[in-house]
Amino acid sequence: MNLVDRYLKAVAKALPEAQREDIVRELSEDIRSEMEDKAGELGRPLTESEQQALLKQRGNPLVLAGRYRQDHRTLAFGRQLIGPVLFPFYVRVLSFNLGLTFAVIAGIFIALGASGQKVGFNDVLSSCLLQLFIQLSAVTLIFSLIERHLTKNPDRWDLSGTCGGLRLDLKIGKNISLPIDRGQWISRFESVSIIIASTVALIWVTGVQRYPFLILGPAARFLKLAPIWYQVYFPILLLTVAEIVRATINLVRPDWTRFRAAYNIILHTGGLVVVYYLLRAGSWVAAAGSTTGITEQYAHSLAIVNQWIYFALLAAAALSVAMLVAKVTRLVRSLRRPAESPSLTAPAKEGN
Amino acid sequence: MTQSTSNHGLLENLRLELRRGSLVLAVLAALRKEQYGYTLRKTLEEQGMTIDEGTLYPLLRRLESQGLLLSEWREEEKRNKRFYRLSADGKLILKQLLAEWQSISSSLNGML
Repeated sequence: MNLVDRYLKAVAKALPEAQREDIVRELSEDIRSEMEDKAGELGRPLTESEQQALLKQRGNPLVLAGRYRQDHRTLAFGRQLIGPVLFPFYVRVLSFNLGLTFAVIAGIFIALGASGQKVGFNDVLSSCLLQLFIQLSAVTLIFSLIERHLTKNPDRWDLSGTCGGLRLDLKIGKNISLPIDRGQWISRFESVSIIIASTVALIWVTGVQRYPFLILGPAARFLKLAPIWYQVYFPILLLTVAEIVRATINLVRPDWTRFRAAYNIILHTGGLVVVYYLLRAGSWVAAAGSTTGITEQYAHSLAIVNQWIYFALLAAAALSVAMLVAKVTRLVRSLRRPAESPSLTAPAKEGN
Repeated sequence: MTQSTSNHGLLENLRLELRRGSLVLAVLAALRKEQYGYTLRKTLEEQGMTIDEGTLYPLLRRLESQGLLLSEWREEEKRNKRFYRLSADGKLILKQLLAEWQSISSSLNGML
């Protein structure tokens, strides 16, 4: 029954969390009843290929799970760009990216306002609209490409996890169990979301380096990024690419939970090193253009913006340390845990 | 060839639309007698209303959340199964839907 477990596990990962267990129990019962019926008709147990054929008839686990969702919203401009299966993940990625960007913009404008600089409503609005346009375009483009791929290849999936030539599902080795417990395996949606979010972040970071107004907004007229940002640019780029690589590996091997834990610790340590160098710099924005005509109020504004960035970096460092400690603790606990864990039918064996 | 393929696609879509509308009625009617998911699917299939599980189970959940069905997990043949049956509201709605169905059917028969 290993194949059934694999299928159920793949469906479970994409189900709404509140109903996951209940739906999987019922689906499991339905599949087993059907297989017993077929085995009864044939007078012998089903072979693995017969089991696989029955599961194939049920369709792509991703699509099947999507049918249980209450949210059937889609994104369409004339034709459908993002269907109901991917739409919840599209919203999640977009919300995260926009939330982060708007928080940065809000921080900059609040700091400017607090320092006595005149901040017009139009300035705030134009910055927000520009970011909205960039994020919306990038995330929508990436998701619509995935959607197109899935629509073009609806039947190209198998229990090893290939879906339309794109690994969106789970690859499960024969010796690996399929526990229904949450959190044991890395969700493929988590991996896909991270790849998309990191790709957008990569494009944004590259853009910010060349066009600082993408982060400073109208303040770019009189502010510029301090040299430290250009020094840490490549390490940040490297960390983002490393995260994409990690998520891609976990998309193919979601059972490599310890790999992710160890990799994340390295990435977090790298992030902390970057934050350390940033903190050491002491100045993160500088006056744009000539410094000779800087008024006292202007210098005061710069000092306040830098002070805000300092606090933000301190908070980021504290958060990073806390997350790093938590990740190390979790990894140590997982290494101490016995290799066996409960499963639907087969004994468990943790990946890698 | 292209025209024929397009007509076939259109017919298929219209056929599915027609069946989708009558599925709720079929499921409610079949659940006058308590059944679990798999036997319900078989019953519908035997009556010529083939429905795949990806459509049936979400539909059962929707009907239950609308108060038309009741369900409970129970052990049968040493296995836990979820049994569905019509609720009091479900019985009432089914009666009204059947009357509507008969009215539509007789109208159509008059036209055809």
